Amino acid sequence: MTASANGSRHGSAGVNVGVTETVGTGLNPPPAGITASTSRRMRTIRWALVGGGVLLLAWGAFVMFDLVRLTRIPGVALWIAAAILLHDAILAPIVFALGIGLRRAGRRVSGTVIAIVQGGIVVGSIVSLIAVPTIVAKNFAPANATVLPLNYGLNLGIFWIVLAALTVGLSAWAVMRERRGSGVRLQDDSER
Amino acid sequence: MRRLMYEAQRALASPVRNPRMATVIGRLLGAAFLICFGTGLYSHFLQEPLDWMRFATRPEFLYQVTQGTHIIAGIACFPLLLAKLHIVFPGLFAYPPVRGFWNFLERASIALFVGASLVQITIGLLNTYQWYPWPFPFRQVHFALGWVLIGLLVIHIGVKLPTITRYWNKASKASGDDDIDGGHRADHHLVDAVSGDRGENDEAARLRGTTRPGGLTGRALHYIDSTPRAASRLSRRGFLTTVGVATTAVVGLTAGQTFTPLNAVNLFGPRKKGVGQQGVPVNRTSKQAKVADAAMNSAWTLTVAVAGAERSFTRAELLALPQTDVTLPIACVEGWSQMAFWRGVRLRDLADLMSADPETSFRLISLEERGSFSKTQMGREYVRDPLTLVALELNGETLDLEHGYPARMIAPGRPGVLQTKWLSRIEAIES
Repeated sequence: MTASANGSRHGSAGVNVGVTETVGTGLNPPPAGITASTSRRMRTIRWALVGGGVLLLAWGAFVMFDLVRLTRIPGVALWIAAAILLHDAILAPIVFALGIGLRRAGRRVSGTVIAIVQGGIVVGSIVSLIAVPTIVAKNFAPANATVLPLNYGLNLGIFWIVLAALTVGLSAWAVMRERRGSGVRLQDDSER
Repeated sequence: MRRLMYEAQRALASPVRNPRMATVIGRLLGAAFLICFGTGLYSHFLQEPLDWMRFATRPEFLYQVTQGTHIIAGIACFPLLLAKLHIVFPGLFAYPPVRGFWNFLERASIALFVGASLVQITIGLLNTYQWYPWPFPFRQVHFALGWVLIGLLVIHIGVKLPTITRYWNKASKASGDDDIDGGHRADHHLVDAVSGDRGENDEAARLRGTTRPGGLTGRALHYIDSTPRAASRLSRRGFLTTVGVATTAVVGLTAGQTFTPLNAVNLFGPRKKGVGQQGVPVNRTSKQAKVADAAMNSAWTLTVAVAGAERSFTRAELLALPQTDVTLPIACVEGWSQMAFWRGVRLRDLADLMSADPETSFRLISLEERGSFSKTQMGREYVRDPLTLVALELNGETLDLEHGYPARMIAPGRPGVLQTKWLSRIEAIES
């Protein structure tokens, strides 16, 4: 049942857009997924890049095992795995949920305002990502007073206030612009 | 499972998640990675030169620029990498998860690429805060991961080359609404077409030929479906603007630690220009180096050894030699820099006094007994440079203990860790 349903989706979509020739440009493997339309030159370059990359990767692995004690390597692997989990299982879903929440909360608000607010939140979050560790690290009494000398908590607070003010100001400007009906409809619909 | 994966990709579909956007952000991120790799290698070889290597001593702020750029590009990677991951996130839910041997290798390489990139920029950032909450040595791992990442980047470019070339120019943007995963792109077109009609979820279900999953999952999916979708062009513009502003913000609010014009808005840099003894920040303290007693001992001398001959200079004797004034920055591997005025004896004059061969490199030895940079080498290009001093004064005062009293090295274009403090002995390396 599932298979047939899926088949119909592929079928109608293929008719709709006809993008089947691009299969192989996505996550497909370099050698197997290449269709006849791919030139020989392209294939050579891709193989050269993949081959060269594998050599560099192997050298990196050698350097790692050469310089880092064997007992420390699992720690590196653990951090890499944890980073993937942290992003894919925690950060990305939170961003997704926030996006949904914002779009729902903003049903009656213009798309431009939603985009501005969304942008403000993202910018603030990314700056906080850089700034919060300074606040944490400063608690561990840095080696000397010239390391992390600023009042990062205060600076982050000031930054958020300025950012919020800018976001509100920009949103107000966008609303006014739309109300005035300048003829330019910023809130375009999906192009299809 | 298959249904769940499709539904996940469907729910995650967004106007910014397309190959054109992946190409636009990807090439910026790729450029940042290459800049970090190049400047990182330069810094590495300055600290651990191969025998045949010689380095430029001009411009004298060269290292300040290369290492400042290393840290700035690294910080810019935070918004760029997160943006890139945001764009390609639906690819995580590809079904079947593995479509064969090559596909497995590719997905594995991307997983490693993502994880190693996140770790690399995180430990790099925290290193500039001198905070090390990980169970491995920073320098070695950061260096090895640099090679690993550049290898993975080259592989990634090779794998994605058709997509990259296809979406490199804006001209192909008309087809830029395709979704990330080529294999399932067709689904999304249908999805978009269907969800274009508001409240037609029954129709969507009919088209799919099945009812939606029931229970909690179904309700969650319905909730997502009933959320208004963002307008395409606006979303893309908003996304790009947000990435641009975020990158400008993280760079602009930290780069003041090395780039003077931004000093006033240095809100989050781990160092501040002018903050420190004699107006210069300090990295390794006399306490960490355990040199205070030896450095303050009035019996201190600087020994210069060339070809078996040795001569010891007291501080007074050094001060009695011709003094030279230079303006040189201290530029740290951690990305900060500070311009300063130094006075002291040219190393070249000391070498000539001992009749050293101009082709000789020198070894600089600190009073510090432990520490990775207590003994360092200086290539002949720095030894012969007229700006290279055994510095005795800093900014018009006797060198502070934290800056290397009684005497320290200062040379153009070298990382701070090689500007040996608390000098004890300088010896020619006989070849």
